[in-house]
Amino acid sequence: MSTLALSVYVLMWPVIVAAVLFVISRGFFREWAEARRNGERLI
Amino acid sequence: MHGVETAQFSAVVIIGLLVLFYGGTFLISTRIGKKDENADAYMTGGNNIGFGISAASMTATWIWAASMYASATSGYTYGISGPIHYGLWGALMILFIYPFGKRIRSVAPKAHTLAEVMYVRHGRSSQLMLAGSNVVGSLISLMSNFIAGGVLISLLSPFNFTQGVFAVAAGVLLYTLWSGFRASVLTDFIQVVAMLGAVAVIVPVIFFAAGFPAAFESGAHNLTPQQGSFFSSTAFMNQGAPYIAAVLAYAIGNQTIAQRLFAVKQSLIKPTFVTATIGYGAMVIGVGMLGVLALYIGFEPTGGDLNNLIPEMAATYLSPALLVVFFIMIVGALSSTADADLCALSSITMTDIYGQAVAGREKANPKTMLLIGRITMVLATAAAVAFASLQLSILDLLVFVGALWGALVFPVLASFYWEKVTSKAFTTSVLAALAVFLPVRFSWIPSGLAFGIVVDVLAVIGIGVVLGLMTFGFFGTKPAKVVGVLAVVVSAPFAIGSLHEYATLSGSLVAYSVSTVICWAMSVGNNERFDFAVIAQRTGDFDDGSAQVVAVTDGADRGAGVPRPAGGTHDEPDLAASSK
Repeated sequence: MSTLALSVYVLMWPVIVAAVLFVISRGFFREWAEARRNGERLI
Repeated sequence: MHGVETAQFSAVVIIGLLVLFYGGTFLISTRIGKKDENADAYMTGGNNIGFGISAASMTATWIWAASMYASATSGYTYGISGPIHYGLWGALMILFIYPFGKRIRSVAPKAHTLAEVMYVRHGRSSQLMLAGSNVVGSLISLMSNFIAGGVLISLLSPFNFTQGVFAVAAGVLLYTLWSGFRASVLTDFIQVVAMLGAVAVIVPVIFFAAGFPAAFESGAHNLTPQQGSFFSSTAFMNQGAPYIAAVLAYAIGNQTIAQRLFAVKQSLIKPTFVTATIGYGAMVIGVGMLGVLALYIGFEPTGGDLNNLIPEMAATYLSPALLVVFFIMIVGALSSTADADLCALSSITMTDIYGQAVAGREKANPKTMLLIGRITMVLATAAAVAFASLQLSILDLLVFVGALWGALVFPVLASFYWEKVTSKAFTTSVLAALAVFLPVRFSWIPSGLAFGIVVDVLAVIGIGVVLGLMTFGFFGTKPAKVVGVLAVVVSAPFAIGSLHEYATLSGSLVAYSVSTVICWAMSVGNNERFDFAVIAQRTGDFDDGSAQVVAVTDGADRGAGVPRPAGGTHDEPDLAASSK
C-alpha cells in the first residue's frame, strides 16, 4: 500500500468515530428536549 | 525506542481525575435517583429507552478496556490487517444479533433476561445453563476491567495495582448501586462521548507526533511480508476466523447485550444496533491502529508486555493535557462495561434466582428484589476485586465461556423460532457440545489422523452452521440453507486435514456443530408444538409501580406476544422450515 493509502487507512477511523459521536449526541439531545417538553423523565 | 521515559501523573492529579470522573457520574446518577426505585426499571429501564441513550449504551458497554488493548496488540502482532480482524468481527457481533433481537423482543417484550425466557420455554435446566454462563462471563469481564484499571493507574501514577483496582471498583459501584440499569445507561452516554471524542483526537495526534506519514516508508523494514499485507492469512486464521466463529456466541450469551435489547424501545432496535456496530468498529479499529504505528516505528513496550503498548504510546507522544484525555478514555471504557456487568449480574439474581426460583413470580416482593440486586452488586464487586489479585488467565477463561456460549447458540435461537425444540434436546445438545469442545480446544487427545479428520468434519459442519445462522437472521430459511451448504462444500476441501491444527477455531466450530446436529435430531420428530404466546404471558413486570415509569409504548409493541403461524412469514424467518 502506498503512503497515502496507508495514511487514509489509519486516519479514516477517527473520522468515522466523530461522525458516530455526532449521530448519538444529536439523538440524545433531541430526546432530552422532547422529554422536557412533555414533562417526562428521559429514562 | 525501547525504554522511553513515560510521563506520569502525580498522586494529587490522579485522585483529582478519579474524583472528577466518578464524582461526576455519581452526580448524574443522583439526578435520576428515586426514593422508591422500581424493580423492573432497575433491570431494564422500563423497556422504552430512546435511540440516543440506547446506542450510546450499547457502544459503551461493548467497548471494554481489553478490547482496545487487544486491538492494538493485534495490530502490533499481525500488522496492518490486525485491527480489522479484531474490531470488525467484534462489531459484527452487535450487528448480527439485531434480527434475532427483534424476534426475541416480539415473543418476550417485557422480559429481563434471556435465561428467564428459557425457563418459560424449556424449564429449569436451560435457564440454569444460560444464567450460569452469564454469571461466569460477567464476573470475568468485571475482573478484567478492574485489572485494566489497576494496571493503568499503577503505570501512570505513584499508586500501585491494588490501590488502582480498589479505586476503580469503588467508583463504579458508587454510581451504579442505587439506580442500577438506569444509572448505567445514562452515564454510558457521558462515557461514550468521552471515549469517542478522545479517539477522534488522540489517534491523529499520535500519528503526526510519531513521524507519520513519513515513517510508513522509513519503518517498512520492521514489518514481515505477512504483517505488511492487508490480506494476511496468518492474521485471518489466528485472529479473524476464531472471532467470526464467536460472533453469534458472544452476542447470544452476553446478558449485557440482552439487557439492552429488552430496554430499548422496540421500534428502535435496528438503528440502535447498527449505530453501535459502526461506533464500536471504528473506535476499536482506530485504537488498534496505534499498534500498527508502533510496529512501523519499532516501538517496544516495557518488558515485552503488550498490555503496556497503548499506555506507553500515549505517554510518549501525548501532551499532559491529552494524556488526561487518554486516561479518561480508558477509565470510561472499563467503567461503562463494569457497570453493565454489575447490572447484568443483579438482574440475573433478581429475576432468575429470586423472582423465579425462590419466591416465584406471583409472590416476588419488588422491595426484596431491589435489595437482592444491590447486595449482588456489592458481592460481585468484592468477588471481582478478589479474583483480580489471583492473576488468572483472562484469555483462557473467556475462551471457555465463549465455547459454552457457542454450544448454546443454536439451541437458544431455535427455541425462539421452532416450536418443536424440547428441553431434553436443549440440555443434551449443549452438554454434548461441551464434552466434544473440551478435548478439541485443549488438545487432550493426540491429534492422530482419524481424530483429526473427525474434528475437521465437525468443524466444517460448524462453518456451515455459523454462516447459515447469520444468513437466517437477515434473509430467512431458504437463503440460510443455501449459504450453509455452500459453506460446507467450499470449505471442506481446504479444511479437512488441517483445520484441527487451529485449536481455538476448531474448538468453537465443533461446539456449534455438535449442539446443532443433536438439538435438531432430537427435536425434529417431536409432535408437540410450543405456543410462543405463553412466553409473553409469563415474562412480565414484577413491580406494579412500573406503570409510572413506562411511557406509552409505540405501535411496534402492540403485536408482541401474538403467536405466529408455524410456517413463518416473509419478514419473520422460521427456523422450523429448515427441519421439516
